[in-house]
Amino acid sequence: MENYLVAMLVTAGIYALLAQSVTLAWGMTGLVNLGLAGFWAIGAYASALATQGGAVPVPVGLLLALAAGAVAGIVVTFSTLRLRDDYLAIVTLGFAEVVRLVAANEIWLTRGSDGISNIPGHFARTPTFGFNLAWLAVVTVLVFAVWWALRRLAAAPWGRALRSIREDQTVASVAGKPVVRMKAEAFAISAAIAGLAGALYGHYSSYIAPDLFQPLVTIYVFLAVTAGGNGRATGAVVGAYLLIAFLEGTRFVADAVPGVTPLQAAALREMAVGVALILVLRLRPQGLFPERNQRAPSGAAPLESSR
Amino acid sequence: MIDALVQALINGVIAGTILAVPAIGFSAIFAVLNYPNFTIGSLAAAGAYAGYLANTQLGWPLALALGAAFAGAAVVGVAHEWAAVRPLQKAGALIMAIASLAGGIVVENLLRFAFGNEQRGYELPLARDIVFAEVYRIGPQQMKNFAMALGIMAAIWAFLRWTRTGRSMRAVADNRDLARLRGIDPERVAVVTVAVGAGLAGFGGMLIGLDTTLEPFMGQRLLLSIFAAAVLGGLGSIPGAVAGALLIGVVEEVSVLFINPAYKSAVAFAAILLVLTFRPAGLFGTRQG
Amino acid sequence: MTIQQRRRTLIQGASALAAGALFAPAFVRAQANAPIKLGTLTPLTGAGGPYGPVMANTVKAVVDTVNAAGGVRGRRVELVSEDDQTNPEAGVRAARKLIDVDKVSAIMGTWASSVTTAVAPLCWESKTFLCTVSGADSITQLPHQGYLVRTQPNTTLQGRKFGEFALELGAKRVFYMSPQTPFTQSVFANIKAALEKGGATAELLIYDDKKPSLRTEVDQALRFRPDLIFMGGYAPDTTVLVKDVFRANFRGKLLTLGYAVNQRVAEANPEATEGVYTMAPSPAEGSGAFKRVAEIVKNANPDPYSCQVYDHVSMVLMAIAQGRDSSGAAIRENIRKVSQGGGRAVDNAVDGIRAIVAGEKVDYNGASGPCDFTDIGDILDCKFRYEQARKGKIELIRVA
Repeated sequence: MENYLVAMLVTAGIYALLAQSVTLAWGMTGLVNLGLAGFWAIGAYASALATQGGAVPVPVGLLLALAAGAVAGIVVTFSTLRLRDDYLAIVTLGFAEVVRLVAANEIWLTRGSDGISNIPGHFARTPTFGFNLAWLAVVTVLVFAVWWALRRLAAAPWGRALRSIREDQTVASVAGKPVVRMKAEAFAISAAIAGLAGALYGHYSSYIAPDLFQPLVTIYVFLAVTAGGNGRATGAVVGAYLLIAFLEGTRFVADAVPGVTPLQAAALREMAVGVALILVLRLRPQGLFPERNQRAPSGAAPLESSR
Repeated sequence: MIDALVQALINGVIAGTILAVPAIGFSAIFAVLNYPNFTIGSLAAAGAYAGYLANTQLGWPLALALGAAFAGAAVVGVAHEWAAVRPLQKAGALIMAIASLAGGIVVENLLRFAFGNEQRGYELPLARDIVFAEVYRIGPQQMKNFAMALGIMAAIWAFLRWTRTGRSMRAVADNRDLARLRGIDPERVAVVTVAVGAGLAGFGGMLIGLDTTLEPFMGQRLLLSIFAAAVLGGLGSIPGAVAGALLIGVVEEVSVLFINPAYKSAVAFAAILLVLTFRPAGLFGTRQG
Repeated sequence: MTIQQRRRTLIQGASALAAGALFAPAFVRAQANAPIKLGTLTPLTGAGGPYGPVMANTVKAVVDTVNAAGGVRGRRVELVSEDDQTNPEAGVRAARKLIDVDKVSAIMGTWASSVTTAVAPLCWESKTFLCTVSGADSITQLPHQGYLVRTQPNTTLQGRKFGEFALELGAKRVFYMSPQTPFTQSVFANIKAALEKGGATAELLIYDDKKPSLRTEVDQALRFRPDLIFMGGYAPDTTVLVKDVFRANFRGKLLTLGYAVNQRVAEANPEATEGVYTMAPSPAEGSGAFKRVAEIVKNANPDPYSCQVYDHVSMVLMAIAQGRDSSGAAIRENIRKVSQGGGRAVDNAVDGIRAIVAGEKVDYNGASGPCDFTDIGDILDCKFRYEQARKGKIELIRVA
């Protein structure tokens, strides 16, 4: 049982990184990244391919994943410079689809739908419990690091500028903010975090395949972020851990429901995820950890009267 | 080569037509209610199952079964909207969209719970294509689909133009507050919009089910294509939804002649990106941010 | 000591031991009667949804039958069925729960190759036995240390058989249409090799299996002027393909896998599937196991996957009986002792367990084939069922 719990905490941590990626892009900057699975995939493949056979040590692989994610993020933002942000959604969706198709069909590059097995895990894989604990430490530290960094950024001038862009790009631009550059920065960092999550998943589970990067994962992460509270890193992290707790907890409840077939139990479990989100939103539409209202920094100069 | 291109064009129009009807529903809901309703895929599946029940249990022929598909999806759509989305109006469009995503999962799994995963088929005959000009082929059912899509588009256009409810819908879409000032009840308009939008999705869903296969997962497969077609045409524009669906259909089918068919979807998205670069609001889009 | 004294000591010692055994702490005895825990991990939702539920139900039916006949050496069998959602991430979480919480000795029925490949390391690391129906050849190449068996024939065997059957049907130009799966390239290579030996040609087209229309792909196929189209996908996309092929007025032959056009697909689409040939791995004609699966799924032509999971659970239960131990390691040690190597031929778990308990050597012949495995877990050989869809029913042509 302990092994299962630890493994679920590791998985939840990886989802927490994905959730924070969404919070940075969507919650803090207003950029809807529906292609989350695509950046997750790019980071995973970058690190898995680089560390094949021990060519490159795992920590370097993680850095490569961050870089690959960031580069992909910049490429996507550049291609959408002229578009309204509503349409970023469809472009990122398309991007994720293309990544999945390339991963499945370009067998020479990605081993195709067979996937990449035997990805190095840095720590010895047996005993399993020890391996899981080691990765729990790594992932939790990284989740915490990203959480801390996002909170600092949110309180810093950069974060405030992002929020102003989120609220009204025109006003922000008139106020002198380099809107395009900041959007690219935020999106690139967000994509890098997603890429890191992908690499962590690959090294932890030792196997990645195109089948992993389905829209359902993006949907789950968005549900988690919304329930937890978009706009705050805390909301994202809590939402992700609650998501996994819910996904796993419903297994045990479904086992106890009498008279349903395995199929019906599975349908009930999936339904429960949707119903849970709707209930959370009915009770707290802003999520569990809504954004606090920002005060203007103290010491602002009073309005100049005409002289 | 020309022959192949023309046939691919015909195939593209056929493929696009199937998608056009649910895309109209999606755009209509966006126009009046201002949010992307991501339940649309599951509503299409719900309609397909409603039509299936009418056809196999009640023995209804095609036209009546399609009506049942429309009605079934409309009921589910309205119920879902009121339970899940309406209460979140103040939280904004994106939150409503996420809620509709969750609702889509619920509807899909209700279908799965009730019907299981086995594929089902309608008791309606399958016809071979008619060949004309010796080289081109087109299916009679597909021609009917095309005609029905055009008919529905015309009906919706007439409804919006000439009926009181339709004009109210357009008023609310243009300016909610002004519409309220004029005595139009936005809530009533919302009910009608969702019913019509969901009904269209269900109607389209049954047409798709006729051509392909009927199982609970079909909604998720369709969602991406419907959304893409609506965005391409300009979110909120009904002729845009049809144009977007047809364009995607044509681009995808023609691309098969030149590149690996496995990359069909990628081509569609490339086309969307291209169009949006030159017309940022979509083919027929006019809405401001 | 005198002989008499030694004998007395011996008898006293033996009596003490016997008494001790009789009054041994209850938990030691209870362990011997603890239930056997097994798990199924099949796609109940997601793209593989059409297949998962029937597989889980088939395994449950066998477990119920064995329990009704008294269990395995008096031990009850408990089954836990989890959903992998046709996604390796969800599959791994489900497998972790089965292994660490439910403590199952074996996981059966994994379907998607990516799920199997993701779950396999969890199984061999925890010494849990894994039975799969997945098609990718790379699966048995994994370092599974014997904790994996696969009842699906590998691509070399399948490709060759498909090619030979196509030649038998008189094909000279074969067009192979399939979505991209881990075994597509390999099966095609083997089909092509077999066809070229017989003087025929073949070409491949990969399509996107999520599309509602494959008309232009079919046009591409027809441009090749094939006399036989081979369809390599699964039921949902093959249904679309077979309808579009029908509409295109193709009058040549159609050949596909038994799980792509199964009884349900044929019933739902009688016109489009009329005349389609299907192939599936098979036991010899008249197999008792096959008949039993047909009864369980209430279908005279059960899916190849249902047959395979029936074999999974039957062999696992017999291996447990053979080894008198329900751990995964014991299943690994004993599965080949009950599945092959001569002995009394049995075709179901109840008879097999009874024979094993009586001390006989058994050789299981299953519903999907003779179930004889190589060292790395592939099946050695199997026959194939050649069937054809006629008027919405799948009818057997022959078993060979």
